Amino acid sequence: MGEVHVHGVVPRSDPTAHARRVDHRDVAALVSDVEAGDLTAANVLRLHWRVLEEAATTATVLPVRFGTVMTGDQGVVDDFLAPRHDALAAELERFAGKVQLTVKGSFDEEALMRGVVAASPDVARLRERVRALPGDAAYYDRIRLGELVAAEVERARERAGERVIGRLEPLSLAASRETPAGIEAAVHCAFLVERERVDGFRDAVSKLEGELGGHVRLRCIGPLPPFNFTGEGTAAGSPAWA
Amino acid sequence: MATAQATPRGYIERPRPSGLADVIDIILEKGMVIDVYVRVSLIGIEILTIDARIVIASVDTYLRFAEAVNRMDIANQDGSAGLPELMEGITESGSKSKTKGALAGAKETLGLGDDDDDDKKQRTRTRTRSRSRREDGDG
Repeated sequence: MGEVHVHGVVPRSDPTAHARRVDHRDVAALVSDVEAGDLTAANVLRLHWRVLEEAATTATVLPVRFGTVMTGDQGVVDDFLAPRHDALAAELERFAGKVQLTVKGSFDEEALMRGVVAASPDVARLRERVRALPGDAAYYDRIRLGELVAAEVERARERAGERVIGRLEPLSLAASRETPAGIEAAVHCAFLVERERVDGFRDAVSKLEGELGGHVRLRCIGPLPPFNFTGEGTAAGSPAWA
Repeated sequence: MATAQATPRGYIERPRPSGLADVIDIILEKGMVIDVYVRVSLIGIEILTIDARIVIASVDTYLRFAEAVNRMDIANQDGSAGLPELMEGITESGSKSKTKGALAGAKETLGLGDDDDDDKKQRTRTRTRSRSRREDGDG
């Protein structure tokens, strides 16, 4: 038996097969065989995501960190499912009927930049200087300008994040504020939501987007496995919402 | 205004999870960690490459911001039409954090985006050194 990718853990009673399963007592690991052609991160990442995405639509699934490869089915049982059985079973119990929804927002770049220039005299001044000089001559000024703009954008992110958390956290069991990544990124928050309340949550996101006046576009991503709420180690104790 | 294009794969029309590009940061950073002594990770090297990109991304990000703010032709327009609500109270000490352009970088690194990212922003898709090296090695 060859090496296997380990994607996640589901209850053994989950009837749907999203990937090959390795069963142990009342839990099962979702695995797939390591193929020779797999060895680029992008391929494996797609596979990992597909398995977890499908599983999360119906099952409670604990995601395993991307890139985890073990020495075969027996290894998955001996080194993972058996020694951590009780903790895994408890986690599955705790997340039963709950999914993660991630809300990401991005700025309208033009509106954002206009706002930054209007709000910061330093940016406006430096911008004029940079525009007056040929490209290479202003290299360090450009970096400085970008740095000032980045700081202003960061503050806009703060505010957008507060709005999103303030509005949506009450509709969730738990919320986690993450660092938005990317130039236009405004907001990144994760919410743990009862499966049957997902639609209502989506509606609230949609409504909130309207309230933000078109400056921030919001996307509600999921249902996802509880990536942001599955502890680094299951020994970390019960979270407050459990 | 520009709300028509707000949801290319909108949550309303399609209740399915979004593409990989939307979740790549989550997938790379989150999930249960199995004891390092019993797992065999094949992919660690490329993950490190992504980390390296993240560091490099910050100067790159500043330059892109500078470019973005320069591109704007504000001179003959009303400069006040910005983000009044979000920008208010910007006066002092905005230097709290350096920007993270990380995931844009990671997406490029992994060569993702073609089939998963139908966002309008077409970033440069640098196929990475690590990836092509790996493929060379395989082939």
